[in-house]
Amino acid sequence: MSQAISREPAEIQETLEERAYELRAAEGATWTGTRLAIGIAIFAFASLAFAYFYLRSGNNLDLWEVSGRAHSAPTAYGAAVMAFMLAAVALTVLAVRRLKAGRLIEWQTAGWASVLSGLLALGLQIFELTNLPFYPGRDGYASCFIGWATMNIVAIIGAVYWQETLVARFAVLKRLFAAEGTTFDSPLPAARLFRANADGCAAFMIFMAVAEVFFWVLFYVI
Amino acid sequence: MAIDTTAPEAPLGAAPPPAAPAPHRPVWLQQNVLTAIVLAVAGFALGHWAGNRIAGGYPNVAGASGENEVAICLSLGLGVLGWLLGIGALNYPIAKMFGREAIQEPYNPSWTRFFKFSTDHKVVGVQYFFGVITFFFTAGLLAMAIRTELLYPTNHLIGPGTYIEIVGEHGTMMMMMASSAVVGPLGNYLVPLMIGARRTAFPRIEATSFWLFTAGYLVILTALPFGGFPTGWTGYAPLQTQASGGMDSYLVGFAVIGLGMILAGFNLIATIIHYRAPGMTWARVPVFVWSILATSALLALATPTLVTAGLFGILDRTAQTAFYVNERGGSSFLWENLFWFFGHPEVYIMALPGFGIVAEILPVFTRKPVFAYRVATAGMFGVALLSFFVWQHHLFQSGINPDMRPLYMLTTELISIPTGFIYLVTLGTLWRARIRFEVPMLFALGMLFNFLIGGVTGVFLSDVPVDVTVHGSFFVMAHFHYTIMGGLIFALFAGIYYWTPKVTGRQFDQRLGKIHFWCMFVFFNCTFFPLFILGLLGMPRRVFTYAANLQFLNDFSSVSAYLLGTSFLIFVANFIWTIVIEPRPAPANPWGSLGLEWQTPTPVPYYNFERIPVVMNDPYHYAEADADPVADISLPPPAVAMNRPPAAQAIEP
Repeated sequence: MSQAISREPAEIQETLEERAYELRAAEGATWTGTRLAIGIAIFAFASLAFAYFYLRSGNNLDLWEVSGRAHSAPTAYGAAVMAFMLAAVALTVLAVRRLKAGRLIEWQTAGWASVLSGLLALGLQIFELTNLPFYPGRDGYASCFIGWATMNIVAIIGAVYWQETLVARFAVLKRLFAAEGTTFDSPLPAARLFRANADGCAAFMIFMAVAEVFFWVLFYVI
Repeated sequence: MAIDTTAPEAPLGAAPPPAAPAPHRPVWLQQNVLTAIVLAVAGFALGHWAGNRIAGGYPNVAGASGENEVAICLSLGLGVLGWLLGIGALNYPIAKMFGREAIQEPYNPSWTRFFKFSTDHKVVGVQYFFGVITFFFTAGLLAMAIRTELLYPTNHLIGPGTYIEIVGEHGTMMMMMASSAVVGPLGNYLVPLMIGARRTAFPRIEATSFWLFTAGYLVILTALPFGGFPTGWTGYAPLQTQASGGMDSYLVGFAVIGLGMILAGFNLIATIIHYRAPGMTWARVPVFVWSILATSALLALATPTLVTAGLFGILDRTAQTAFYVNERGGSSFLWENLFWFFGHPEVYIMALPGFGIVAEILPVFTRKPVFAYRVATAGMFGVALLSFFVWQHHLFQSGINPDMRPLYMLTTELISIPTGFIYLVTLGTLWRARIRFEVPMLFALGMLFNFLIGGVTGVFLSDVPVDVTVHGSFFVMAHFHYTIMGGLIFALFAGIYYWTPKVTGRQFDQRLGKIHFWCMFVFFNCTFFPLFILGLLGMPRRVFTYAANLQFLNDFSSVSAYLLGTSFLIFVANFIWTIVIEPRPAPANPWGSLGLEWQTPTPVPYYNFERIPVVMNDPYHYAEADADPVADISLPPPAVAMNRPPAAQAIEP
C-alpha cells in the first residue's frame, strides 16, 4: 500500500498511509485546538471574574456600586443578549447532530439560524453598550460591566464567525461532493475534517453558553 | 492507545479538495513587508482621524499630556490591522467567510520569502530569529544608555523623565523579546523536525504569531515619540492611568505581543501532541520538545490574563472606566494581581526553553544519555504548574494581606524543587563525562553557572524578610538579569551555535565563537554581579541618581556593560563573515548528534522528510554500540504502530 499520489504543486509524493496519518493528525489537532481555544477563553474571562470579585469585595471607598440595583445595566437587554446567544448555541449543537444524522437541509437551516441568532445577540450587546444608564467610570460595577460587554462582543464575533465559515464552507463542499457522488457522512478527508471542525465549533459554543449564563448572573442578578 | 497505521479500507479517494494554486501576480501586487508597511501607515492615519472624530470633542478623554487617548489607541489598533492585512495574514480568514479553502502557497526558494507571510515553519523560524535579534539589539542599545547615565551619581546626561522612559522601554522590549526568544526561532524551526513532522498543525496561525510579534515591536517603539511611559516594564497603576500617550503604546503593544504568544503556544501544543511521527512515543520525545510543550502551555494559558489586563487599562484610558482608579471604585492592586498572574509564569516561559536547549545539547558533547530523562520532563511540568500559584510574592510589599505572605513564600520555595530537579539532571549528565568544549557546550555551561546564581538569589528573594529588605533595589534587578540574560540568552546562543549548521548548512568560525563566549561570560558577570552589592547597599531601581560612595561599583558595571555589548559585535561579525560573506560549509552533522533533525538533508527540504520517518529509539543513546537507530526514514509507515488521539477515533467513520 505504498502507492504514490502526486500532490501538486508540492515536490514530494505522498503515500496513502502518509495521507491517512496526516488526516488523523489534522482531526486530532482540530480537537485539541478547540479545547485550547476554550482554555484560552476561560483564562481571559476568569480575569474578568477576578476583577469583578476583587473590586466588589474590596469595595474601595464604598464605590463598588453607587446607587444599587436601580441603576445597573438594563436587565431586559442583558436577558435578551443571553437568550439569543443560548439560542445560537442550541441551534449549533442541533445542527451538528443533524449533520451526523445525514440530514443536511436541517443542518444548513439550523446553522444559518444560529448565525442569525448570534448576530442579533451581537447587535443587542452593542446597542446596550451605547445606551447604558451610567457612565463607564461611575464605579467598580460600571467598569466591570464595560469590560464584560467589550469581551462579550469579541467572543460573540469569534463564535459567529466560526459558525458562519462552517455553513459557507458547507455550501461549497456540497457542490463538490454532488459532482463526485459522495456525501457528508462519508470517510472522505474533506468530510471528516468538516465534521471535526463542526464538532469543535459546537464545543466552543457550549462554553459560550456557560459564560453567558455565568456573567448574566454576575451582572444582572446578584 | 496504540493502533496501526494501515490504510483505511474506505477509499481515501479523494484527496482533500486540492488547494488552488496561487494566481500569478506581478511583483508590485504581491503582498509583502512593503505592502504591510503601507497599509499599517494608512491604518494608523485612519485610526487617528477616526479617534479625533469620535472623541475630539470630549476633553475628559485627554490624558495627562492633553493627548486624545482614543485617537492614539485607535491609530495603533488599526495600524496593526493594516499591518496584518498588508502582509496577507487575513487573506485566509476572509476567504473562509465565503467558503473558500486556503490557496496553496507556491514554493518560493528565493530570499524574498523571508519578507512575506509564509506557512513554512522553517521560514517562520528564521523570520523569528531576525525579529528576536532586532528586538534584542534595540533594547540592548537602550541598556547602554542606562549604564551611561549611571556613570556619574549627580552629573546627568539625560533628565529623570527621559531616564525612566528609557528604562521602561528597555525592560518592556527585553521582556517581549525574551518571551519568544526560543519558542519563536528554535521552537518553530526545530520542533517539527525533532518529532518527525512535515509541517505544524496550524501553519497560518504560526505565521500570524510572527507578524503580530513584529507589529508589537513597532507599536512599542511608538512609545518614544508619544512621550514614553514612566512605569517601567511592569506598568503599575496609578502611574499607568496618569501617564502620557506612550502608555497606550505599552498597553496595546503588550496586548498585540500577547496575542502572538498565545497563537504561537497554541500551534506548538497541537503540533507536538498530534504530529509526532509513528513510533515517536512520549518517552522518546526530545527534552527540548518537552520544554517547548511546557512553555507553550504557559504561553497559551497565562497570556490571556495579560491581554485582558491590558484591555482594562486601555478602557481606563479611553472609555474612562475605573478598573485601576482607586478614587472611583477601582484598585491599582487589581493591575498588580492580573499582571503578575501572567508575569510569574512569564519567568518560566523564559527559563524553561533555556533548560530545554541545555539538556538537549549536553548529551551530544558528553556522549552520554540525558541523566534521569523522566525527572527532567516531570520537573518542567512541575515548574509550569506551580508557576500559576506564586504570583502574590510580587506583592509582598503592597496589596496583600500580611497573613497571606507565608503561603506564597511556601509556594515560591516549592517551585525551587522541580527547578532543582532540572538542574540536577543537567549536572548528572555532566557527571564523569568526557566533555567536548565546543562553542555550544561553553554557552550551555555558562548558562548553568549563571542560572545557579540567579536561581539561588531567587530562593533568597522568596523569603518575606529578604524580599521586604531588598524589594525594588538593584539586588532584584541583578537576580532577574542573571536568570533571564544569564540563563535564557546564554542558552539561546548555545542553540544558535549548535543548530546554525542545520539551518544554513554553514558554520561559525569556532575561534571567534569562543572569543565571543569568554567575552560575554566574563563581562556579563562583571556587569551584573556588582549590582547585587549595590542592591544590598540600598541603591534603588529606576532612579537616575545615587549616593557618591556607590560610583565605583556603578562605573565598573557600566564599563563592563560596554564590553559586554562589544562581545555581541563579535557575534555579529562572525555571523556576517562566516555565514554570509565567506560561507564556510558545515559537515552534515558536525557535532555527531543522534537527533532526528540532523537526519534530514541540509538545507532542509520544503517537506522536511521525503517519507514520514519511523522512530525506533530516543536520541540519547550515545556510546551504546548496539542501540537501535533513532529512526528509519526509509521504512514505509504501515510497518509500525503509533499513538493516535482519542478525538480521531471519535470521528472515525
